[in-house]
Amino acid sequence: MAMELENYKVLKTTIHPGQRVFARQGSMLYYTGDVVFTPYSMSGGGGGMPGVGAIAGAAGRMMQGEHVGLMVAEGSGTVYFGRDGLYVEVIELDGSSVLTVEAERMLAYEGNVQTSIVSLSSQGGMRGAVRGAVTGQGMFTTQVTGYGTVAVLSHGGAIALAVGGAKPQVVVDPQAYVGHLGQITVDLSAHVGFRDVVGRGSGEAMQLKLSGQGTVWVQASEKKF
Amino acid sequence: MSIQIHNPGTLPVNDNIPGNDYAFCVDLAGTPWFTSKGAMIAYYGNVAFEPLSRTNLTAMVASQFSSPLYADDWVVAQGQGKLILGDRGYNINSFDLDDGNLTIRASNLLAFEPGLSLKQSIVPGFLTLLGTGKFLASSNGPVMFAEPPLRVDPQALVGWADCPSPSHHFDAAWMHSFLSVVGGFFGMDSDEERQFDFTGAGTVLVQSSEKMLNDGHVLRQLEAQTVQLSQASLLQLHRSIGSRLS
Amino acid sequence: MAQLRMQGHRVLVADLANETIRAITGSMVAYDGAVAFKNAGMGGGDGFKAAFKRKMTGESISLMEVTGSGTVYFAVDAQDITILELTNDALHVEASQLLALVGQLRTDVKFTGLRGATSGQGLFTTTVTGTGTIALLSAGGPIIALEVAPQYPLVVDPDAFVAFHGQLNQTFVTDVTWRSAVGGGNGEAFSLRFDGQGIVYIQPEER
Repeated sequence: MAMELENYKVLKTTIHPGQRVFARQGSMLYYTGDVVFTPYSMSGGGGGMPGVGAIAGAAGRMMQGEHVGLMVAEGSGTVYFGRDGLYVEVIELDGSSVLTVEAERMLAYEGNVQTSIVSLSSQGGMRGAVRGAVTGQGMFTTQVTGYGTVAVLSHGGAIALAVGGAKPQVVVDPQAYVGHLGQITVDLSAHVGFRDVVGRGSGEAMQLKLSGQGTVWVQASEKKF
Repeated sequence: MSIQIHNPGTLPVNDNIPGNDYAFCVDLAGTPWFTSKGAMIAYYGNVAFEPLSRTNLTAMVASQFSSPLYADDWVVAQGQGKLILGDRGYNINSFDLDDGNLTIRASNLLAFEPGLSLKQSIVPGFLTLLGTGKFLASSNGPVMFAEPPLRVDPQALVGWADCPSPSHHFDAAWMHSFLSVVGGFFGMDSDEERQFDFTGAGTVLVQSSEKMLNDGHVLRQLEAQTVQLSQASLLQLHRSIGSRLS
Repeated sequence: MAQLRMQGHRVLVADLANETIRAITGSMVAYDGAVAFKNAGMGGGDGFKAAFKRKMTGESISLMEVTGSGTVYFAVDAQDITILELTNDALHVEASQLLALVGQLRTDVKFTGLRGATSGQGLFTTTVTGTGTIALLSAGGPIIALEVAPQYPLVVDPDAFVAFHGQLNQTFVTDVTWRSAVGGGNGEAFSLRFDGQGIVYIQPEER
């Protein structure tokens, strides 16, 4: 299998028999050869959904939506993926560290990597997840491990910033956060007085603090999608 | 200031602005061009833009612009000057047809020379160019040229040349799993189940997909087709639209 | 003076060593180091009079002051960014396309004409004067710089206009032929005509 950029907005994937590619539903642009697409739902509820009630329900829908949005491509051929003119970044995983990507931004990944949905938050757990869903800062992330290629979407392209060494901590606007790789601790918190400068009307002004050793990708836009 | 400064003498002749895939310069030198409304972002020179209904080139328009549904979207640009065109930040490319034909999504066609004639395609929202001349097309991201056989997401299709018109293809595996889960045709919100199938020899032009929430061209063409319907058929259509809206 | 540089086409980077720059509110996408962000208010730090004028004219410009030591990254809506140097000079900018200011630069709002005789609605441009560095935004692709000279005036779609510089006379033309070209149906369509000597900056995407 090979995953590479056809151009900055399109991912080209060559599939051979016995291999599977997971991709976001609706992202297939065109294909040649014999390829079959099947909607895919992650089994097991993806980390469990304890708690009931309206608030948990909101978060639950969000997480469920994440799962429903995938499909599997199998067979023999070449498939081109893209979405709404967003830019595509290809990230190679060598098994040594965990890639965390904002769940909405996952375009496609090879079938041999492992994924799980995790909520990023200072409070952690369900409360944090709910808060994310309610404030629209929706920090649901897909964690990817193993060997393989992952394709991630960004608005206008992403820059990679090193975390660690001379830059022990990098602060990112959650709206511009794409993902990170490496031994990085993430703290999502409200920043007093930050709302003034973030300047987007509704919701709490949050910031994402990343510290440790690794790389964080930031897109050239404060527009979440 | 390190950025390149252009003037009418240094602007390219019928080419992209250097280093800019998203802006194009048309050299207007006596012969008129058809240009789509709204594509113009600036111009130098003595240039007149005339609606197709009010130009002195009535005969040329009548013979070359055979797409009445689209007449309001276009003007004739005449005179001497340099026109700069842009379209939503899409990549803009020029193409030359030599006694050829090419069908293109109406919203991706920006301009063409009158050596080409324009006709409405049977596929809603698409137009066919015939003849010899230059035209400008936009695409969301660089345009990809692909050879059939292939299947393409209708939203990602920019156009096709030389090969037969596409047919619809419904993915069997997808339909099966989908029907078993939801049990209905409407409400599908992805596109993998519906594809355009291209066969034969030719070229298919593909772009990164876009949200096609309100393509006025498609709507207009579908509306125009309802004149073929009988009273009973219109009522039936009315009911089915009503049930989808409720 | 703080240095501005680009990382790619669409991300502006400011390296601050105990320095201050001004940028459009909400444009910071990431930073490291000890950096503080402070709202410079409606007037963008140019005092009450400028703020009042802005409020009256509806020209929306909201700047923040970024102070400290570290690296700050700015981006807006995936727009392309261009860095221009100004030396004891003036640049007239569409407010929404201004990203950042460094140095001894003053901003003011200027009335530049009527938006069509019928509507009577005014049009305003922000003028940046002094010596320093300016970062401009360009939607849809790289900015395009077009020279205007007495023998070749230029006509521009106001929705694609970003900035101009030089001895230019700016007029609003509501001619029928342009209206048919941009298709503004309801009589709002007008074009911007530049005569004189100078440079006009436009962007590939219409606002």
